[in-house]
Amino acid sequence: MPAVALLTVKEVIRRRILLVTLVLAVVFLGLYATGVYYGYRDMAAHAGPLQGLMAAQFLALGLYFGSFIIAFLAVMAAVGAISGEIENGTIFAIVPRPVRRSEIVLGKFLGYGLVLSAFAVLFYIAVLVIIRINTGMSVPIRPGALGLFCLQPLVLLAVTLLGTTFLSTLANGVASFMLYSVGFVGGMLEQIGHLAGSQVLVKIGIFSSLVMPIDAIYRKIVYNLLSASGISYSAYMLGPFGAGSEPSVWMLVYTGMYLLFFLAMAVRVFSRRDI
Amino acid sequence: MILETSNLTKMYGSKTGCSDICLAIDKGQIFGFLGPNGAGKSTLVKMLVGLLFPTSGTAFVLGRPLGDLEARRKTGFLPENFRYQEWLTGEELLSFHASLYKLTGEEKRRRIPVVLEQVGLGGKGKQKIGSYSKGMQQRVGLACALLPDPDLVFLDEPTSALDPLGRREVREIMMELRSRGKTVFLNSHLLSEVEMICDQVAIINQGRIMAAGAMDELLVETVEVEMQVEGLTPPLVNELAALSRSCHVNDSLVRLTLDAREQIPSLAVAVVRSGAHLFSLQTRHNSLEELFVNLIQGGGEGYAGSGPADC
Repeated sequence: MPAVALLTVKEVIRRRILLVTLVLAVVFLGLYATGVYYGYRDMAAHAGPLQGLMAAQFLALGLYFGSFIIAFLAVMAAVGAISGEIENGTIFAIVPRPVRRSEIVLGKFLGYGLVLSAFAVLFYIAVLVIIRINTGMSVPIRPGALGLFCLQPLVLLAVTLLGTTFLSTLANGVASFMLYSVGFVGGMLEQIGHLAGSQVLVKIGIFSSLVMPIDAIYRKIVYNLLSASGISYSAYMLGPFGAGSEPSVWMLVYTGMYLLFFLAMAVRVFSRRDI
Repeated sequence: MILETSNLTKMYGSKTGCSDICLAIDKGQIFGFLGPNGAGKSTLVKMLVGLLFPTSGTAFVLGRPLGDLEARRKTGFLPENFRYQEWLTGEELLSFHASLYKLTGEEKRRRIPVVLEQVGLGGKGKQKIGSYSKGMQQRVGLACALLPDPDLVFLDEPTSALDPLGRREVREIMMELRSRGKTVFLNSHLLSEVEMICDQVAIINQGRIMAAGAMDELLVETVEVEMQVEGLTPPLVNELAALSRSCHVNDSLVRLTLDAREQIPSLAVAVVRSGAHLFSLQTRHNSLEELFVNLIQGGGEGYAGSGPADC
């Protein structure tokens, strides 16, 4: 397993996936920092006390699109982790070696997971630093919230890994993004439901969180950060990027089980598959 | 037995990949597995190395059941459709495969230069695989298969991308392995190559083994005779046909297949006794190619001999 994980990390680096992602992340963060700087400054002229809310709004926005980018990276990196290697034939020389097939799947999960987590940590800290410098809003870097931010791509990674064990690379890409979109749109609808007082929308949101719990993790992070001591702005006020209600700890338990289930299924399907 | 299969069968839905394969291969030989494209050669090898799961039947590799990791530590495999991570160097690829084989750091450092040298890539280990030619990629694949100094090596069309010199080198590697008591399972449709080096062969067509046995046994199983006879008469043709397994007449040229060499003089006797003139009588060397063509085109059975294919 360590050999496969190491090779996976090497692949992400050698094939310049990491480089491209880092460059684009810097571009994104540059744009974001500029937006926060001018948005916050210009707001001061007429927003008055609402300026603080603006800072929270920017923070949520940064984390939201950060999650988005990292989710894309998770899917794009792992979409062909197994199917691509079957299609191009590299796996033919690997499976017959004295390794269990589960080691191949878990090694890849570990490899991609490490890269994604490292990227997520950097991104998270960058967003918090940008907010602090430009708005003065100090959000402590809490290990809990940071861990949840890293958990998001891992969930999607497990889903994508299951897909790549039995779907073609292209079909898996479509399926994984679709599933991600379900969580993403459902989460939005749920927040609108909270604001509009629509129980139907809230229920749709809850249902979609069960299908794809990534969005619920994001809401949990935002709720945690913005209800942190010293920040009095309700996450309620952040509209679709906020969290109308805090996802319960059971949602996290569910997410953990969801991840493990997909990973176990990926191992199971690949272990029985003819290549 | 280093490799033993019993009624090993692989079905793809209702399509047969290979059916009731029974092989028993002793150590220290080069075993040739022949067949036309799509006959089921690769299917069998893929089952034996763990890429495919058999539909039914059993197999033992190095005395252990299929999928056993201990057996795989001493088994090498070069796939037919080889492709390696282009962004690795040759040495890095070998180091990765050495880790998969669970070689220790010391073994890695010792084996990698050895196998690179063995396959003719000495000094090229630092190059990226993406810059290798197709032939070099096949060589590095062979190096991966030889890394753990395996007792059994499966080579699926190992010379498909090589030029004649490269083929010769690979043949020499196989013979060197045999001389050290290793066993090579060679999948190939290059009959001349198989004929040159294999001790035992099995021929597969449409998923079934058509013939199997020691090379020299299979090749002496029939004798081909060609005669030039003037004054052929229908009774003589009938007599010759009765003496032989098959008889084709084309003007004065008669081609016969006999069961045994001892029958040759009786042919000459028959011709002379009938009053016809015998101008020439030649026995033709029965090549593997002829055996192969006869089996595949004629769909003939009955060659399955005393060799490695007894169930």
